[in-house]
Amino acid sequence: MVDLGLKTLLFDKVRFLITVSGVAFAVTLVLVQGGLFVGLLDNSTITIEKLGADLWITSKNSPNLDFVHQFPEANLYRARSVPGVARADNLILSFMQVALPTGAEETTIVYAMTDFSRWGVPWELAEGSLAGLESGSFVAFDESASKRFGAFGVGDYREVNGQRFRVVGKTRGAKSFTTTPLAFMDFHRAQELQPDLLAGKTSYIVVKLAPGADVAAAKTELERRLPYNDVYTAKAWADRSRDYWVANTGIGFNAFLTVFLGCLVGVVVVAQTLYTSTMEHLKEFGTVKAIGGSNLDIYRMLGQQASVAAVVGFLLGYVPAQLLKPVIASAGLKLIIRPQLTASVFVGTVVLCLLSAIVSFRKVKNIDPALVFRS
Amino acid sequence: MFTVVAEDVTKTFREGRETVTVLKGASLHVEPGEVVALEGPSGSGKTTFLSILGCLLSATSGNVVIAGEKVDPARPSACQAVRRRHIGFVFQQFNLFPALTAAENVEYALNLKGVDGAAAKEQARSLLERVGMADRMRFLPRDLSGGQKQRVAIARALVASPSLILADEPTANLDASVATQVLELFSELARREQRSLLIVTHDPRVRHVADRVVGIADGRIAA
Repeated sequence: MVDLGLKTLLFDKVRFLITVSGVAFAVTLVLVQGGLFVGLLDNSTITIEKLGADLWITSKNSPNLDFVHQFPEANLYRARSVPGVARADNLILSFMQVALPTGAEETTIVYAMTDFSRWGVPWELAEGSLAGLESGSFVAFDESASKRFGAFGVGDYREVNGQRFRVVGKTRGAKSFTTTPLAFMDFHRAQELQPDLLAGKTSYIVVKLAPGADVAAAKTELERRLPYNDVYTAKAWADRSRDYWVANTGIGFNAFLTVFLGCLVGVVVVAQTLYTSTMEHLKEFGTVKAIGGSNLDIYRMLGQQASVAAVVGFLLGYVPAQLLKPVIASAGLKLIIRPQLTASVFVGTVVLCLLSAIVSFRKVKNIDPALVFRS
Repeated sequence: MFTVVAEDVTKTFREGRETVTVLKGASLHVEPGEVVALEGPSGSGKTTFLSILGCLLSATSGNVVIAGEKVDPARPSACQAVRRRHIGFVFQQFNLFPALTAAENVEYALNLKGVDGAAAKEQARSLLERVGMADRMRFLPRDLSGGQKQRVAIARALVASPSLILADEPTANLDASVATQVLELFSELARREQRSLLIVTHDPRVRHVADRVVGIADGRIAA
């Protein structure tokens, strides 16, 4: 069958380019904004996901990963005695000040454990080693800290809360939602740095269950034995932390608004271009009817044109979004475009383009038959 | 059986608050193989009458029968079916699809009438050969002369062998020699294949090929 719709669409190359450019722009905008949103939220929970704990024990009503209160570190032994618990450790998470060579100070979020090697953090070491952290005043910073702290290397010294520490490692990918750099040090050293806050205290107890253990049962027993704490599965804790930032900072609304505006731009461009094209080809559509075509034949053509514009526009918009990843990474941000986001944007693009085509249907339905006879 | 039976056809349009009656009881009968030239001044109702006979417009009142099938304005799908089965159009501006080649223009009309694939390609080729366009099948309309475009348009009008061909000023945009060729083609179609032709025209040369010249003035057909 002769594909009149497709051939007409591609015949006017300039108009086709304009149409798909509008769609591509909208797609890029939505993918980048959505990807930035996911990237930001990823930072808010990445340590939860990477650490590898099945359960997180927190102080009561802690709102998210970064904002916690301390509780007695001795609660660890109650946690370890619960059936099904393979191992449990204390984890301190605390904001501390780092003195820079310039004399200024910057904030860091300190993660402190007695033995990081039993857990999944830090998950990537770019340089150096965390072995022997407990043997002295040693610290590892994430390499992203160079943005705020200035350049540093393994072997350098930095003051943390007024105490001199030797940098023994540079991690990679360890970031917080607020982009405050992360630091890793020994549990007891951290307590010494903030004795008023941390002496005899911990921020979390992280729990790894034995293979086959009943998660719900272990959680219930932990809650029973630690009534002044909250116990979350890793997923629940990650969700809570994520939801906090979405609800309390407006980033959710910001992301929604940008995605909405991106979609609106795409719809308006496609609708306008298709409508203009329909008006210019009205005589042709009238001829289609005259030579035996129906309104449905023409609707199919318009729908096909909208679909082709959607698919081509999506592909043209997807590529720049992927190419922007390193550019965005250089700014210290993460662009995460997951298959679900890609699929959603693709389906949304096709649906919105088809809806745009409907604007033209009414015009087609009411074509003046005498139009085909006019010069 | 007449190819065209139009009896007391009226057509009224509403323009704002006013009602305009363009056709006032127009009647016409066309026999198989007959070539009828329809002449009249601008505004006389020629295009409206042609649109009604072509089932593109519904009459306000009156009776229209095309190739034995009554045209019922209340049933648009039935009108579309009559158009598909019995009517071919040739337009003043050719109305070829600019994105399709000559062969594809004819083939598309076949597709609309339910003929697809190799059969459509073969029929399109055959029709274009009949109108002398065999060597221009792959050309786009922009690369064809006026006369060549009109030949392609005639080939397109002939798909599915319609009983009636409606031509609106088919020679208006053609030079003299080409116009003569097109009119001879029309004449041949009528004589050899018994197709009825109704040609709306201001061209006096059409009279030479027409069996009958009918005048229309002020919405009425003159005898």
